[in-house]
Amino acid sequence: MLAELGNFALVLALMMGILLSIYPMWGAYKNHTKMMAMAKPLAIGMFVFTAFAYGCLTHGFITDDFSLTYVANTSNSTLPLYYKITAVWGGHEGSFLLWVLIFSMWTVAVALFSKAIPLKMVARVLSILGMVGIGFYLFMLLTSNPFDRLLPFFPIDGKDLNPLLQDFGMIIHPPMLYMGYVGFSVAFAFALAALISGQLDSTWARWSRPWTIAAWSFLTAGVALGSWWAYYELGWGGWWFWDPVENASFMPWLIGTALIHSLAVTEKRKVFKSWTVLLAISAFSLSLLGTFLVRSGVLVSVHSFASDPSRGLFILGLLVVIIGGSLGLYAYRAPQLKATGRYQLFSREVLLIGNNVFLTAATLVVLLGTLLPLVHKELGMGSISIGAPFFNQMFTYLIMPFVLFMGIGPLTRWKSQSPQALYKQLLLAFALSISAGVLINASFEQSSYMAAFGLVMSFWIIVATIMEIQQRIQPQLTSGKSTILQSLQKLTPSHWGMVFGHLGFAVTLIGIALVSAYNVERNVRMTIGDSVSLQGYEFVFKDVSNYTGPNYTADVGHVDVYQNSKKVAQLSAEKRFYPVQRNVMTEAGIDSGLTRDLFVALGEQLKNGDWSVRIYVKPFINWIWLGAFIMAFGGILSISDKRYRMTKMAKKPHTNKTPSPVLKEQVS
Amino acid sequence: MNRFRSMLIIFFFGLVTTQISATEDKFQFDSTEKNALFLELTKELRCPKCQNQNIADSDAMIAVDLKRKVYELLQQDYDKEQVIVFMKKRYGDFVYYQPPVNPMTIWLWLLPVLFIFIALGGIVISRKRQAPEISQEQLDKAQAILEREQ
Amino acid sequence: MKKIAVYLIPLALFLGLIIFLYQGLFSNPREHQSSLLEQPMPEFVLPDLMNIEKTYTQDVFLGEVTLLNVWGVWCITCAIELPYLKQLQGEGKHIVGLYFDQDMDPDFGIKTVARVQQEVTDKLNQLGNPYAFNIFDVKRDLSLDLGVTGAPETYLIDQQGKIRLHHIGDMNARVWSGKFAPVYDELIAQ
Repeated sequence: MLAELGNFALVLALMMGILLSIYPMWGAYKNHTKMMAMAKPLAIGMFVFTAFAYGCLTHGFITDDFSLTYVANTSNSTLPLYYKITAVWGGHEGSFLLWVLIFSMWTVAVALFSKAIPLKMVARVLSILGMVGIGFYLFMLLTSNPFDRLLPFFPIDGKDLNPLLQDFGMIIHPPMLYMGYVGFSVAFAFALAALISGQLDSTWARWSRPWTIAAWSFLTAGVALGSWWAYYELGWGGWWFWDPVENASFMPWLIGTALIHSLAVTEKRKVFKSWTVLLAISAFSLSLLGTFLVRSGVLVSVHSFASDPSRGLFILGLLVVIIGGSLGLYAYRAPQLKATGRYQLFSREVLLIGNNVFLTAATLVVLLGTLLPLVHKELGMGSISIGAPFFNQMFTYLIMPFVLFMGIGPLTRWKSQSPQALYKQLLLAFALSISAGVLINASFEQSSYMAAFGLVMSFWIIVATIMEIQQRIQPQLTSGKSTILQSLQKLTPSHWGMVFGHLGFAVTLIGIALVSAYNVERNVRMTIGDSVSLQGYEFVFKDVSNYTGPNYTADVGHVDVYQNSKKVAQLSAEKRFYPVQRNVMTEAGIDSGLTRDLFVALGEQLKNGDWSVRIYVKPFINWIWLGAFIMAFGGILSISDKRYRMTKMAKKPHTNKTPSPVLKEQVS
Repeated sequence: MNRFRSMLIIFFFGLVTTQISATEDKFQFDSTEKNALFLELTKELRCPKCQNQNIADSDAMIAVDLKRKVYELLQQDYDKEQVIVFMKKRYGDFVYYQPPVNPMTIWLWLLPVLFIFIALGGIVISRKRQAPEISQEQLDKAQAILEREQ
Repeated sequence: MKKIAVYLIPLALFLGLIIFLYQGLFSNPREHQSSLLEQPMPEFVLPDLMNIEKTYTQDVFLGEVTLLNVWGVWCITCAIELPYLKQLQGEGKHIVGLYFDQDMDPDFGIKTVARVQQEVTDKLNQLGNPYAFNIFDVKRDLSLDLGVTGAPETYLIDQQGKIRLHHIGDMNARVWSGKFAPVYDELIAQ
């Protein structure tokens, strides 16, 4: 019964979406305040009904209602309660319901927290979100309804949640990722609303900045969690596989990163407007494209959903309407977007936009690498594979100019920077980063050039970032007005956000450089009592015991690790067997540390009782994810900035040097 | 044919001996270079039957066979290129994660590079076409409009 | 007007992409062409499964159009296709088995040849024997040379010992009439 109510609630949410897409937009067109004011209650309604439907499905999982096809396919009575709750997004239909729920949450958030933005703009933004919502809700109701029943004959027990997803990382990874993907719909809606209204100054950039940064922060965390999950759950020791599904999340991240920087330029300097609009459209479009790739089965991936051409066709139609429509509107309106600010070639504007170019090129690399095999095959040229060697090569080249610009950018002034004034500083930063990178790299045995290179790049960013802070607080220090601590406190949260964002990137880069160069592994066969030495660690295979979990049985291999005859870690690597899906899972035994991970994965048992065991020592691997979370933290810090909580429109009038945008249009 | 029987015996006997000694690397090499090359190759060769995995990560039978083949070939002093050619001859371009260069795949490299040059060129050009700096006269005019509105 | 053209580029690229995505929806991403087509059978020296003393080489395929079927008793789909292969054999097709065993794997352990033979005999007695003879690919070397990814797979080999078709998956009426029959009939007509 509750499931039918849930289904009905979804239909109602769709209705809300339809109304939301019509009334406020019409109101904005006709200047009808009451119609525009409908946007808020409609957005709230859409959210409430979706949340109710979500609750109904969760109830179906908790109560083991296997008459629901989706529950029967993704749950089992023996599944622990917490996994039953998270199994709601363990398959295609439910995860799309989560997607839609998150979408309605963003929509309602925009409706509630946009008091400072003119009613007309909010009305248009919410209407556009409503239109996008129609597509989502229709897709779910028509092709992927999680409330479909298996009546009259339904199974006694469910097929169980994919064991790969029975894991803590999987509990938080999809919601985070979807918060990011769907969050970009807000930036998309703001950009489109600006295009529709013809109000093409850069105020929309200011309004959409906090939303975009928020979505980006979630996406950063989501991508990092996905990578972390793959690392410890797949048991292959890798942390990034260039799998289409990973690429699908990486592309919006790259473009999103470009977007948050481009928004800053457009907001502050009123230039590159059409570029920023294009990025805002692209970020969300790539999120949708990723959804298509993951859910349609056009590409072979380790972790895609069960494929179904009818679903694929529907999403493809959705892509044509949403992306095609917005790009069409873009082509129509963008020529009217005029830059009003001026800048010299050596200026912060150009450096920021230069890095946008590299980020976009990187996105292009991932996009081509992901889709070209498909095109290649469709053209009858045979199957090819594009994987790690290609992507690693391209990213190695792309990151060099990117990091160079990234270090210089924050040190330069807007509009124009005299090269002489920076020359000494940059030379110092260069010397410092080279010596730091090379020295640290030399401390590793058999030091690698690539690692040295990565370290130098990381320190370049770190040194430049510190210099930038110093540059900022120097005037106050020399004037003696405040101490170092006081002047640091005077820096705005959004400034600190930038600092953390950049430092986080450097930390990730250190992790990538070191683990890529100094990862060591051995693939051995071991009997109980055997020991293997690797990188100064002695791994002793103590024993294998049996363990019975709530819905699986496991062989648990206990491995003690000694360093200089001192025990440093006790690892238990599991080989789990999930009887319902007849699935064997590897749970790696990992001892995590700041400077290294010790990683043991149990392979198959050989006929004579030996075990095949994979052993890795992975230096600094945690820095990869640590850096990502620092970046995400930087994003959150930025949003907390007061400037985004404007209660009044024109609280801070611009200085008289630059006339307000409206004025300027009249002037020129 | 007795030759065959002896081959089988050697094969099985070989198995038995490798299973007696413990804590051996599954694939042992006499040089670290070869070992490194083996790790590199098994990470860049794709398991033909799996979803999307290299042969190092996969435990599928075909992946295990390919790993053993790579090992054998390296023992016969094949270099990296020769191993890849060997595999491609049997499993096609699909088996190697680095795509071949042909008129289609060349765009993998060309497009990003072209994009960078065009975009950077565009930045330089658009800067030259910038609207002239707002003159004092215009500012005065703006001020006048402002005052009039008030 | 020229300006709009520049801004139309993203839309044009996107629409081009959509065409391929649309096509991609209707093709199986896991299916790819064998690289051995039109190539002669690789060289090999392998024993008969039932009589280890007897050996075959690639020359065994000369002079007759052959279906080479890769299989094993451990493979479930192979058991499903056996009756259909039996039917094909009844229609006069020359079918040769390429047998390999999972358990003959150095990593998993050893099975005696006698035991393998017993398993095969049991299976074929139960489901029918379509094979003229079975080549025993002891170390799966020939399979590897043939680009076999698993079982079942079927090759069509012409009178000159050249590989003409390679099918991954089970053989059934649909695959036969759609993929094999045209080529087979043409070869036989020669």
